[in-house]
Amino acid sequence: MNEISVQIKINNNNYERNIKPNTLLIDFLRDDLGLTGTHSGCDTSQCGACMVLHNNSAIKSCSILVAQLNNQEITTIEGLQDKDKLHPMQNSFRNNHGLQCGFCTPGMIISAISLFNENNDPTEDEIRKYLEGNMCRCTGYQNIVKSIEEGAKDMREKG
Amino acid sequence: MTKHDKNLKGITRREMLVGSAVAGTGLVVGYSGLPGAVGGAREALAAGSWDHQVFLTMDNAGIATVHITKAEIGQHVGTALAQAVAEELEVDWNDVRIDYPDTEEKWGFMITGGSWSVNWTFDRNSRIGASARIALIEAAAKMMGVPAAQCSASNSVVTDSVSGSSRTYSQILSTTTIDRTFSEDEMKALTLKKFGEYKVVGKNIPALDIPDKLIGEARYGIDVFVPNMVYGRLVTNPTRFGAVPLSADDSAAKSIDGYAGVAVIKEDPTGVNTGYVVALGETYWAAEKAAAAMKVTWDSGPNANTSSADIVQAAKDSIADESQGFTWVLEGDPEGAMSKADTTVEAEYETSLGYHGLMEPINCVAMESNGIWHLFTGSQFQGRFTAMTAAALGVDGKNVVLHQQYCGTGFGRRLEPDGAIISALAAQQIGRPVKLIYTREHDLRFDFHQTHTVQRVKAGVNSAGKIDAMSHVVAAGWATKRMAPGFLAESVDKKGKIDQFSTNGSDHWYDIPNHYVRSVENTTAMAATPPGQLRAVAPTWTWWANESFIDEVAHKIGKDPLDMRLSMLSATGKNAGTPPNTVGGANRLRNALIVAAGKSGYGVKPMPENTAMGIASVASQERGSPSWTAVVAEVHVDPSSGEPTLKKITVAMDVGTAVNPDGVLAQIQGSALFGSSRVLHENVTMTNGAIDQGNFDTWTPMRIHQAPEIDVTIIQNGHYPAGCGEPVVTCVGPAIANAVFNASGARVRSWPITAEKIKAAQRGA
Repeated sequence: MNEISVQIKINNNNYERNIKPNTLLIDFLRDDLGLTGTHSGCDTSQCGACMVLHNNSAIKSCSILVAQLNNQEITTIEGLQDKDKLHPMQNSFRNNHGLQCGFCTPGMIISAISLFNENNDPTEDEIRKYLEGNMCRCTGYQNIVKSIEEGAKDMREKG
Repeated sequence: MTKHDKNLKGITRREMLVGSAVAGTGLVVGYSGLPGAVGGAREALAAGSWDHQVFLTMDNAGIATVHITKAEIGQHVGTALAQAVAEELEVDWNDVRIDYPDTEEKWGFMITGGSWSVNWTFDRNSRIGASARIALIEAAAKMMGVPAAQCSASNSVVTDSVSGSSRTYSQILSTTTIDRTFSEDEMKALTLKKFGEYKVVGKNIPALDIPDKLIGEARYGIDVFVPNMVYGRLVTNPTRFGAVPLSADDSAAKSIDGYAGVAVIKEDPTGVNTGYVVALGETYWAAEKAAAAMKVTWDSGPNANTSSADIVQAAKDSIADESQGFTWVLEGDPEGAMSKADTTVEAEYETSLGYHGLMEPINCVAMESNGIWHLFTGSQFQGRFTAMTAAALGVDGKNVVLHQQYCGTGFGRRLEPDGAIISALAAQQIGRPVKLIYTREHDLRFDFHQTHTVQRVKAGVNSAGKIDAMSHVVAAGWATKRMAPGFLAESVDKKGKIDQFSTNGSDHWYDIPNHYVRSVENTTAMAATPPGQLRAVAPTWTWWANESFIDEVAHKIGKDPLDMRLSMLSATGKNAGTPPNTVGGANRLRNALIVAAGKSGYGVKPMPENTAMGIASVASQERGSPSWTAVVAEVHVDPSSGEPTLKKITVAMDVGTAVNPDGVLAQIQGSALFGSSRVLHENVTMTNGAIDQGNFDTWTPMRIHQAPEIDVTIIQNGHYPAGCGEPVVTCVGPAIANAVFNASGARVRSWPITAEKIKAAQRGA
């Protein structure tokens, strides 16, 4: 299979790589770049563990090719912090025990930020509806909702 | 009945060594091999002869690392176990770390399950902390030239109460040699703090694992990469168990870019399964394509004609045949009392095959290097993984090391070493490291499912409206017999061994003078659906039957189900309870029921139309280690469609002492929804030996928008800490079914509880 050249900005770092055209974003992140915080739970875009931010919106990295993102920018869970300072949404998940095993957590946090970018003051119902595609098998949903409510409030206040 | 009072009598048989090999190198705390066999802690460490269990290590900066031999599967139990040590060690919490060691004999028995972690280990870890503190105080007293008796420790500092001078733990550990042996009697005699005196235990300390999980730094098994590895992907066996590959033709796979070969395994001496075909690729993509292109001829094996209906029929037949199975409970004269009963009630309950549904599917990286096999994966039963992988490979168990990783959930699935064994066998065949990842379909179809169960319960009620006799037959696949036969229990009639972990819960805490429980192994289920342990295990089905049934009896004789339960919880005789685990006995269950009823507004709160509450209570997990739990479920049933909607769950749970209340709360909330999902949303079925469902489109657990409101009350009374990760799972099911009945008049006796079943029950079908 012939390789193609792509340029992609991930977490503010520019990458220029030759890749196979069928390379999925999730495999590129995990296998090529070692960014293993983005997780794969189903391969069929049903669990949401693989979400990353693209144009401020959550996308499922198991269902998009790197080639489709040529000259574009994405952010993964590893890129949310500002140096050692957690993103307010990460901080809120910490403060509200919004994670148990942690496998779904990167996708949850990315999805929550994506929701905030669309709706900066979501109701509990809106949060639950938006997060429908993010599965948590620890079923820690109660604290996840709480984390997102507080994280959104914090993001609103910080502007 | 079960007797699980493990480790509650403190450290037994062995001495505790607290010492350092060389001055200023910190401290190691652990068991000695044999008492008196080594000169002491210092000598054993210096000679390198200390090869037994180590619990705590401190370095010369005063950092205390508590070694956690449990799997981190989301329960954050390492933090609670470290809190127990830190409380008695009087260490500054900022200096506390945890780690998850690789397998080695010195770490002892490594298993995670049964809601045992805190319950089995709290007392031991408290004593470990106390012994280290005493050794540190004695060393500091010697440094200061004062009697140890006038010194005390707090916040990593030892202070002489007379002069006021002090030494920090770091100062002690960076200068002196510590060499202290505590005899078994001395360990038992240690005075530990009591409830009310705690400074670290009982605090909502954020879990030490959380920061790494928030920033993508936590490493799960699936995140492991080693040089020169290939990806492995299973070619799907035609049946869940028993198929053997006869040949694999890879001629089409050879043209795939990155194809790296195929491992055909026709025999696995461990019996995890009967054969595998693993397609290998330089990339995951290549392995996936190669698996699809592989032409395999299979012998489908002996289960190719087994379907769910056969498993159910086998259970029913074994229940009807009274010669089958063994007695688990026999009190009074059940037959005689039943024949004299005023009213009898009888019902049959089923639970469906259950899928663990790990977020992170089964995976393992297996690699051989200089004669040592390395397994990188998350495991809930490390010793079983290394021993069985060694057996499969034909190597000495000492030459297999498991490197423990974080687990994207566990629920008992990671007690099973299939991922490790298959990846290792493939690596052995191909001569390269193999990273095997189950696809979601393989994870679902080749799970060690929770067994399908059928139970028949019968009660004889006397003229005073009391249940005088009860008989209960449990037919299930016996997971323990398959995976850990050493844990089978003697039956009451001494006629044979019973899988206690397929039966417990039926030995409940109600006053039933004449009580009989028979436990039967469903051999059809055993053969076709190798059963595993799924979160909350047997109490999931035994309490489902029991608590649904108590409600049915109450309705039949016109009593309120709550009143009926309370009237049978007198806490007398065998239900009086004994310290430490069951002190208070049935009174504690009674109390939990009253709290849950009160908090939910049971019988008081106005309910919308077609909405009702249902109540249930359990003493899970085992009779010897109960967490006293009551649940009230509020359910709406749509009158036209029959669709049930779970509106609210109210939980009251007496855990004695909550070591980390916030951690307990998270476990209770999660288990409430996990159990509700199991009962309302999840189903697994079998046709011709194969599992029908394949992914999250056909196996559809509860999602966030379907989750009800949850109200939790954690009851603490200072009694010994009980487990909290599972019991609520066993209580929500019957509470929901009882609420469905109260809302719709439909009694559903099998899982999942669906609109169709509700409508059918309403029609009297």
